[in-house]
Amino acid sequence: MGLGANPAMLSFWRKMTPQERRAAKTGYLALSPWMVGFAVFFAYPILATFYFSLTQWTLVDQPVWIGLDNYVRMFTRDPLFVSSLKATTLFVVLSLPLKLVLGLMLALLLNLKIPGMNVFRTVFFIPAVISGVAVSLMWIWFLNPDTGVVNTLLHYVGVQGPYWFWDLNWALPSVAIMSIWKVGGAAIIYLAGLQNIPAHLYEAAEIDGAGKWRRFWRVTLPLLTPTLFFQLIIELIDAFKIFTEAYVITKGGPLKATYFFLYYFYEEAFRNYNMGYASALALFLLVVIMGCTVFVYRTSGRWVFYEN
Amino acid sequence: MKRDFKKCVTFASLLMLLLLSIGGVGAQDPVTITWWTLASAESPEPAIRAVIEAFEAEHPNIKVDVTIMTESAYGDLMNTTLGAGEGAPDVAYFWETPWLPHALDITDRLEADPDLSRDDYFEHYFNTRAVWNDRVIGLPFTVGANFVMYNKDIFDEEGIDYPTADWTPWDFIEIAKALTDPDKRRWGGDRPRGPFRAVFKNIGATNPYSDDSTTVEGYLNGPESVEAYTWLWDLVDSGATPTPADIEVLGTEGTGPVDLFIAGRLAMATLNNGHMITARNAGVNFGVVPEPHVPGKDRYVHGWALTSSIWKETEHPDEAYEFLSFWVGPEGQRINMEIGALVPSLPSVLAEYPDADTDYFQGFMQVLDAKQTAEWRAAHPCWRGAVIRAVSDAWDLIMLGEIERDEVQATLDAMVAPGQAALDECVPRLGG
Repeated sequence: MGLGANPAMLSFWRKMTPQERRAAKTGYLALSPWMVGFAVFFAYPILATFYFSLTQWTLVDQPVWIGLDNYVRMFTRDPLFVSSLKATTLFVVLSLPLKLVLGLMLALLLNLKIPGMNVFRTVFFIPAVISGVAVSLMWIWFLNPDTGVVNTLLHYVGVQGPYWFWDLNWALPSVAIMSIWKVGGAAIIYLAGLQNIPAHLYEAAEIDGAGKWRRFWRVTLPLLTPTLFFQLIIELIDAFKIFTEAYVITKGGPLKATYFFLYYFYEEAFRNYNMGYASALALFLLVVIMGCTVFVYRTSGRWVFYEN
Repeated sequence: MKRDFKKCVTFASLLMLLLLSIGGVGAQDPVTITWWTLASAESPEPAIRAVIEAFEAEHPNIKVDVTIMTESAYGDLMNTTLGAGEGAPDVAYFWETPWLPHALDITDRLEADPDLSRDDYFEHYFNTRAVWNDRVIGLPFTVGANFVMYNKDIFDEEGIDYPTADWTPWDFIEIAKALTDPDKRRWGGDRPRGPFRAVFKNIGATNPYSDDSTTVEGYLNGPESVEAYTWLWDLVDSGATPTPADIEVLGTEGTGPVDLFIAGRLAMATLNNGHMITARNAGVNFGVVPEPHVPGKDRYVHGWALTSSIWKETEHPDEAYEFLSFWVGPEGQRINMEIGALVPSLPSVLAEYPDADTDYFQGFMQVLDAKQTAEWRAAHPCWRGAVIRAVSDAWDLIMLGEIERDEVQATLDAMVAPGQAALDECVPRLGG
C-alpha cells in the first residue's frame, strides 16, 4: 500500500487548510533535493553494498549470490581480518586519547590573550588542511632513521633513535604520533567551545576564591563537555578510517603492524578484485563505528553537561 | 504495351538500385574506432598522435578516436565499462586479470595476418602477456626487465672483477660484502623486492604452491624454497645491503634504488631498462648483468609488457585488429621508439634502438630471452593478491632480522596453513 493511500495520512491531509497544504507542498519541494541526494548517494550505495556483500563479485563480471559465505569467512577463517582489526583497534586506543588531550591543551594555549595569537592559530590549523599524502611524505623524512630531524635530535642527547615506521615495535606508535600533527583542526573546535563559556562564570568562581586549576576543572571542563563529546565522536570515526599512512608509508608492514582495516579493505577491493568480500568488510566497519558511536552517545548523559 | 511498361519500370528500378549502391559506396563514412591509452615517457602524447596519423594515412576508411588518460582514471573506467558491458573502448591495454575474459580472441586473425606473427615478438613476453587460457587475447606492447646494474668505478677501485652471467646468488653476497664500505656510507648490493621473483626461481624455488592450485604444503616450505629464503637470510645478515627503511627513505618511490646507485651508495642494484637510461644520462660508468643463477637450474627474468587488446564486444573487430596490429606491430612501436623512449617488444625493431650497440644494452638484451617469472604467475592469478600476502610474514621476519637461520624452515612451515586458506578462498573466485 502506497503512502498516498494511507488512511491516516489522507485524513490528516484532508484536515489541513488549503494554506497549510500549500505550505506542506513547498516544504516537501524544498526538501526534495536533499531527499533525492540522500537516496541516490547514501541509501542506494549502502543497500547495494549490503547486496554485494552477499555475492562473489570481481567488479567486471556479474555478481554471483553466495549468501552469508563472506561473513562466515570473515568471522571464522580469515587471519588478515583479525590482524587488521587488531591493528586498527590499537591505533584507535593509542591515538584517540592523545588527540583529544593534546587538542584541548593546544586550544587552552590558543585561547590566551597575547599579541599575534591569530598567527599561531593559523599556523596550528594549517596541517589540518594539508593533503594526507603530502603529510605522509613529510613524515617519512621527519622520522628517517638515518638523517631525519627526530633521530638527529635524539642523537644529540645521546639516544639512539628507532627505525620508526620500519621498526616492528615502533611502526604503529609512529603513525599515532603522526596523527597528532593534525591536532590543530580539533583545537580550533575546542577554541570555539572555550570562547562560548560565559566570562561571568569565571568571575564568579574567582570571587569565590577558585584558583586556575579549580576554575579549569569546575568551570571550563564541564562547560566544554558538549564540544568534547562532538570531538570524541568525530575523532573516533576518523581513527577507525585510518588508511593514507598505511597506503603511502608502511604498506601495512612491518609484519602487519600497520595493516589497518581500510587498507585491508582497499587491497581486497582494488588489488584482489574481491569486491563482494570487501563490501562485507565495509559493512562490518560501518557496524563497528556505529556501535562505538551509539555507546558514546548513550553514556553521554552521564558526563556531558549542557548549560541549559 | 503493358508488358513494355513493366519492363521499363523493372529496368528503371534496377538502374536506380545500382546507382544508389554506387553512390552509397562512394559516400560511405569511415569507421571510427575508440582507443584508450596512457601517455608516458615511453609513449608520449606526440608519439600517440603520430601513430594515429600514420595509421589513418594507410587506412583512410578507419578513424581512431583516442582518449589519453591517467592510470587511475584508466583503471576506474575500464572496471566500470567492462563491468557494465557497454562503453568500453575498441582497443586498450588489458593489464588486470579480471579484464582478460573481456578481450577478443585474436588467435585466428593473427594466424591469418600476412604481415605479423607471434614469432615476431620475444617469445616469453608474448606467451606471458598475449596468451591467456591458450588463446591469443592481445599483443605485447613494449618490454621491460629487471637485471643487476653494477658500478664499474667502484669495482675497479676495490680491485674486484666485474660479475658475469654465470654468477651465483652466493657470489652476489660475497661480492656485495667485499664492496660494502661503512666509512663511505656504501652498500655492496640491494635486496630482492619480493619472494618467488627471479633470484628465488633461479635458485630453484619455483612456486609457492602446486601447478594445479591445490596444495601449498611441500611448495612454499619445500627444500628449494627453504634454500631461497635461507639465501635471503644470509644476504640480510651480511650487512651488505640497505634495509627496507633505507630504501624507502633514500630510494626512489616504488621504482627501486636507482638514486642510491647513481649516488654511488650502492655498488650493485637490481634495476630496469628505464633506470639504465637514467644512469647513462647521469654519467655513471656501469655494466649490466642478469640476476644471479644456480647452474643447472632454469634462468628466469622478472619482466613486463603491456597487454594490448580488443574489447570482445567491439562492433568493429576487423578495423580494431587493423589498428592493434599497426600500433603494437613494427610501425607503431618504431614510431614510439623514435619519438618516445619505448623499448619495443619486437627483436627486429629493438635492434634499431639508439643504444643497441652499447655494452650495457647488449647486457639488457641478454635477459629478454630468459624465461619469465610471470609465466607461472599469469596462469595463477591467486599467487600474489591472496597467497603471497597471506604468507608475507616469513619475508618480513627475515627482512627485519627477527629469526635465526635455523628457524627459516619452521617459519615457512607455519605459513602453510594461512597460505592454504588463502588459496582455497581465491581459486573458486579467480580460477586456478
